[in-house]
Amino acid sequence: MTMPATTTNVLRIHPEKCTGCLRCELACSYMQTGAFHPAKSVIRVSPFEGHTSYAPYTCTQCAEGWCMTACPVGAITINAAGAKDVLDDTCVGCKLCTIACPYGTMFYDPDTRKAFKCNLCGGAPACAEACPTAAITYEATATADWLGEFARERTARVLVGAR
Amino acid sequence: MTPATVQAPSKKKTPSGARELPGAYTGKLLRVDLTKKKCWAESWGPDDMRELIGGVGLGAMILYRETATRGGKGNVSWDHPDNRLILATGPMAGLPAWGSSGLTVVTIGAGTNGPTSTQANGFFGTNLKYSGYDAIVVQGQSRDWVYLYINDDVVQLRDAKFLVGKDTWQTQDALHEATGLAGHQLSVYSIGPAGESLVRFAAIQGDYGHVASKNGCGAVMGRKKLKAVAIVRGTKSLRAADARGLVQAADDIGFDLRTDPSAKSLYEYGTLPGVVNLSRLGALPIKNYTTNVPSIDMSQWEAPKLREGFDHRGHQCSACGMHHCHMSVIRKGDHKGSIVDEPEYEGWSGAGWAIGAVSDVDGVAWLNTELDKACLDVNEFGWICGWVMECQEKGYITEAQLGFRLTWGDIKGAARLIQMISRRQGFGDLLAEGVKRAAEKLGSPAKDCAIYTERGAAPRGHDHRARWDEMLDTCTSGTGTLESGVPVHPTEVGQPARINTFDGEAVAKFIAGIRGRRNFEDSLGMCIFTTRTRLENLCRALNAATGWDVTVPETVRFGRRTAAILRVVSLRSGHTPDLERPSTRYGSTPVDGPAKGQAVGEQWEKMVDTWYREVGYDRKTGKPLPATLKALGLDWLARDLWGKKA
Repeated sequence: MTMPATTTNVLRIHPEKCTGCLRCELACSYMQTGAFHPAKSVIRVSPFEGHTSYAPYTCTQCAEGWCMTACPVGAITINAAGAKDVLDDTCVGCKLCTIACPYGTMFYDPDTRKAFKCNLCGGAPACAEACPTAAITYEATATADWLGEFARERTARVLVGAR
Repeated sequence: MTPATVQAPSKKKTPSGARELPGAYTGKLLRVDLTKKKCWAESWGPDDMRELIGGVGLGAMILYRETATRGGKGNVSWDHPDNRLILATGPMAGLPAWGSSGLTVVTIGAGTNGPTSTQANGFFGTNLKYSGYDAIVVQGQSRDWVYLYINDDVVQLRDAKFLVGKDTWQTQDALHEATGLAGHQLSVYSIGPAGESLVRFAAIQGDYGHVASKNGCGAVMGRKKLKAVAIVRGTKSLRAADARGLVQAADDIGFDLRTDPSAKSLYEYGTLPGVVNLSRLGALPIKNYTTNVPSIDMSQWEAPKLREGFDHRGHQCSACGMHHCHMSVIRKGDHKGSIVDEPEYEGWSGAGWAIGAVSDVDGVAWLNTELDKACLDVNEFGWICGWVMECQEKGYITEAQLGFRLTWGDIKGAARLIQMISRRQGFGDLLAEGVKRAAEKLGSPAKDCAIYTERGAAPRGHDHRARWDEMLDTCTSGTGTLESGVPVHPTEVGQPARINTFDGEAVAKFIAGIRGRRNFEDSLGMCIFTTRTRLENLCRALNAATGWDVTVPETVRFGRRTAAILRVVSLRSGHTPDLERPSTRYGSTPVDGPAKGQAVGEQWEKMVDTWYREVGYDRKTGKPLPATLKALGLDWLARDLWGKKA
């Protein structure tokens, strides 16, 4: 997957540095909900190669903006940090955006009955701040497929006892 | 020894349930009765939280209240249905301080048949707290093998037939498959064949490589026929009283761990540097304490080299920034391609140096994980395997008795011994009883080569003949393992920064002086390594999480209170003061190396006398003195223990 270059800051994932501690989920959920609530984090950590490798993934703020396109009420906008953001007052909770997103990074909250997603914390992403190994950085760089090669490498080899 | 006379405190609940809970707690304990096949949530209130905090503080009180017999004069044995298996977290579990997913197992252990507090990490605490529980308290015994499944409010005892016979990693694999959950979405703590066979030093292992290893807690789980506890990463939330303050305190702790000389090497390499560092002090146990002079060039054991030898990947516990826990892939040799948990110092020691395996690091790393899979305590395995090796060399255990020849450094033979012990096959049945019982059964001269405490506990993986503080602590402890050591910033609690480690009196004063901190840390739900910061920082984090105003002196007082309660449970279990001594070999004098000639045996009695005086316990009966208990705010315990004399 190739993304067009961008000059805005993006969340860059360095999967080889991730140790699977999930501190990003705690920080994210605190920013999103005001409580430590990883079930409502919009960054998630995937395990690879059995239980030996991990990598975080979240909204890439893709140029296509599939969620925006799909939203029938125009509830998804672009905020000052350049992130696609859900306007709670407008969102009707139809979940079309969660179906449209090809990356699985649009979420639906059954408590508020609204969609929610990464909004880059308005320009100071808590996950990047919280990551103790700098596996998530916030920097001006072109968006890219951060995980593809890593996932391929970490799932291709057959390890004794790996599942 | 007069047995301690104690009575359980009033069961009347403190009427505090209606008040608002402190931050960080869920407010519920999950009770599980395996005999009745019932699970229920029990509320606990702010007063109990402040008094007991969590972890060992909570567990000690539950043991005290619920395992007494004969009107408080005795205690249930480890294999009795009324024994409690407490799997506790603490207030910090699930929050963003580093390494804050702690599991503290508190029970009457199979090794000493007395109280135990032993810790592991991984994701147990996080998953449990986000499911809505602060701790699990298991009682009763199941007739059939079951596992406990927790998914928020869905708590079930499920049939575990399909898991029986599986090792701990296979058990976790099978449960991930059965639930369709991957990675940390499901935390699993289980027992392997050793726990099923009631091996007296069986451990509880979880999340691929984290082990609550001490005092046969895995045998307790086996006796209850509880194969595993599987906890889905819950969907509930935790609130901190001052979230910003908590993050600030957590960051300060992280800074300390990265930069403070007492923690920096742990931050970079975990416990790996221990091998070389301890060898320089004569505290690396080599070949069952028969020597303290390494026979090889130690540069290959330097931490960076040790780690570079493997394809290693970070495998940290919840929210942790330490470069400590790793999974490794073995690059060469018989086990090329195998995934192993990177051994801690204790693994290199127990599965390596103690049994004379000093060159084949790949083999030691593999053997260490085999022990985790079987769920055997790596320390006690090291002492028992090394003992068998020495006894075979000296002809005290014959080839016919054991069934094969086991020589120093024989990894394959050691792996065979793991199978024999964990399935109680042949001579393994005797060895499964632990070092002390096996040695006593064979008698001298074999017995004189065995390393254990007279209570039946296994020392940690050091040569304590060069670390007298840990020997004294291990022998007098109420937790079945170290209770006060290892010291961290001792000046913060009024102790000297350094002492002469071969001056028995100074050692005893020191270990009594730092008493309390460890039990406080083990109540927080944090890792022993991420609490290697100043107590002041831990207080700030705890206070921000809960909304309390805990001070440094209060932490020590709390820890000493917990120690006193555990001591009483220990006395109820028949642990008389005459058992507070090392075995012949454990308390012997090193014949070579840096600690050559330093005779702990010559100073032992004086050391113990001093320790008793300093902690304020009665030397004759072992009981905490009334004045000591009252000073700790334990007037009720003084009355239980001493009656009208208090």
